[in-house]
Amino acid sequence: MVPTPAIARMNCKPGFHVGHQGQQGFRPSVRGIRATRWLAILLLASWVTLSWLLTGCAASRSQGPPLTGDILVDGPRAIAEGPARDRVLWQYRTAAAALRQGRFDLARTLLDEALLTLQGIHGPNPEARRARSLFRPESVKPFIGEPYERSMAYIYRGILYWRDGELDNARACFRSAQFEDSDAEQRTYAGDWVLPDFLEALATAKLGGDPSDALRRAQTNVRGATLPPLDPSVNVLVFLEFGPGPLKYAAGEHGEQLRFRTAPSPVKSARLQVAGLTVTAAPVDDVNFQATTRGGRVMDHILGNKAVFKDTADTVGDAAILGGAVLAVAGHGRKSAADEAGAALVLAGLASKLLAAATMPQADTRAWDNLPQFLSFVQLRLPPGDHTAVVEFLGPNAQPLPDRTKTIHFRVPAEGRDVVLFVSDTSATPQHQ
Amino acid sequence: MKSTILCSALLMGSLWLTGCASSGVKNPSGVPVTRLNPDEQGFVAGTGIESQDLVAVADKMARSILAIPQIANAPTPPVVVLDPVENKTRFPINKDIFLTRIRAQLNSRAQGKVIFLARDRMATLEKERNLKREGAVTASADPQVQEFKGADYFLTGTLEGLSTRTRAGTSDYILYAFQLIDARTSAIVWEDMAEVKKQGLEDAAYR
Repeated sequence: MVPTPAIARMNCKPGFHVGHQGQQGFRPSVRGIRATRWLAILLLASWVTLSWLLTGCAASRSQGPPLTGDILVDGPRAIAEGPARDRVLWQYRTAAAALRQGRFDLARTLLDEALLTLQGIHGPNPEARRARSLFRPESVKPFIGEPYERSMAYIYRGILYWRDGELDNARACFRSAQFEDSDAEQRTYAGDWVLPDFLEALATAKLGGDPSDALRRAQTNVRGATLPPLDPSVNVLVFLEFGPGPLKYAAGEHGEQLRFRTAPSPVKSARLQVAGLTVTAAPVDDVNFQATTRGGRVMDHILGNKAVFKDTADTVGDAAILGGAVLAVAGHGRKSAADEAGAALVLAGLASKLLAAATMPQADTRAWDNLPQFLSFVQLRLPPGDHTAVVEFLGPNAQPLPDRTKTIHFRVPAEGRDVVLFVSDTSATPQHQ
Repeated sequence: MKSTILCSALLMGSLWLTGCASSGVKNPSGVPVTRLNPDEQGFVAGTGIESQDLVAVADKMARSILAIPQIANAPTPPVVVLDPVENKTRFPINKDIFLTRIRAQLNSRAQGKVIFLARDRMATLEKERNLKREGAVTASADPQVQEFKGADYFLTGTLEGLSTRTRAGTSDYILYAFQLIDARTSAIVWEDMAEVKKQGLEDAAYR
């Protein structure tokens, strides 16, 4: 439908296809008619190409099911019915929500599926290749997350392995969490998570190994907090998380630069009260810091090239249209070859503008948007029996923030596996864990 | 007219070539995972522990165990208990699967040269024995006699890993080591190992 009026407009321009007015009036020459046909065909081809490109993009962006606002409803539905490229994203989000609801079995299943995808991304991937093409946005690739998101998936899975008494698999997850962060652009920020190293050390000590390397790394990287002494005899581990995590946005003229938006956390620390003990937990890891210190990606280079192409095509298009118009006007009435060249330049310019418009350098801003900002940890040695832990999340002046106090009931067995509690400032309360 | 079309084609071609968004990126399509010490070929999806590794390692260990004198020349079949493997790699796995496969290989190939104890079923077995002792169920022998066997050997192992990740790719080396330990003397009467190294590089879209 689109090409028809365009061709009609072209035909109304006398300079494109008529001879000298003084000699032939408005009667078209044979040469002019041929040129007009060629131009019409070329323009039609350009429009068809652009339409195909845009249609292809639209087809590839299938929408997910409608959202209800309850992530434990939306997540499983999006995983089952939504676009395959967003499956891991929803597995991440739903697993985090399930952890906070105390639904550890659901979280375990979702994280296992997500990590299975994450571990199998080596080699050529047609969907990832499309994300590198000029006419597809980065977000067409299957989501696996940036390194900080992948690390968090492993950290959560490690916590769940510890809950299940599989300390060596928990340690494997903590090692992988650190591993995901190991190719940062600046080596200073490579593998600088603290909690995974400390937990690796604790697991190793409990398994009878030598924890000194991992412990030394944790102690080197910790900022603004003091790590507890390594005590293999502890039998209760409390993982705490609070504050809003990083979100992504696209910056740059064409949205080709991936950036992170961080919001200050109203929660600065947490206070745990259990069995007559009171322990204050400062953050040992900052997810926002991890997100913003990874440095540039290879994909940023590709998106930058896409943006340059878009700008260049647009500029070339402007120049060609302007040059063609000048040539056509200058040649009008004197030499039909100049008219044709001018027309061709205008056409090429239009095509170039179309290509520029179809180029998609936008960065992928899909994000695991329910991550916390801070991670913390408390270790305890409690007698066997039933206990109730109260966790208060504290503001800047160490005052408990309203509506954020959590109550967790749990039982310490006489012997056997450690008790592992997971408490977020958005956790459901009270909970039995 | 031909020159016009040629001119347009050249212009468009130049735009395409200059706009190749992946230019300057090394291996933009990634490098497929390569198993560097293969004795079995197959599609490898990741650099971690996979089924082909399990099969190769378990086969090698089963053959190796059968050849040792303590098994091959034993007057009576030695009794072996499986002790869980310790995973020291960065890959969370179902570690019991290695010992399960080795046990199945030995049971199917050794034809009674080795006896394994089902220690992982002790709770069920004790419950059944107690029912027999109470007379709640029938017994083909005197249930008061202690017939649960003790172990002559423990079969166990460790999985250790060495991993590297740079912009050039990911490399994972895994050492699978298994031991047969004399339960009476704590002597390691047999040990063997297998090692696998894999490398891979993901698509540039993920780097």
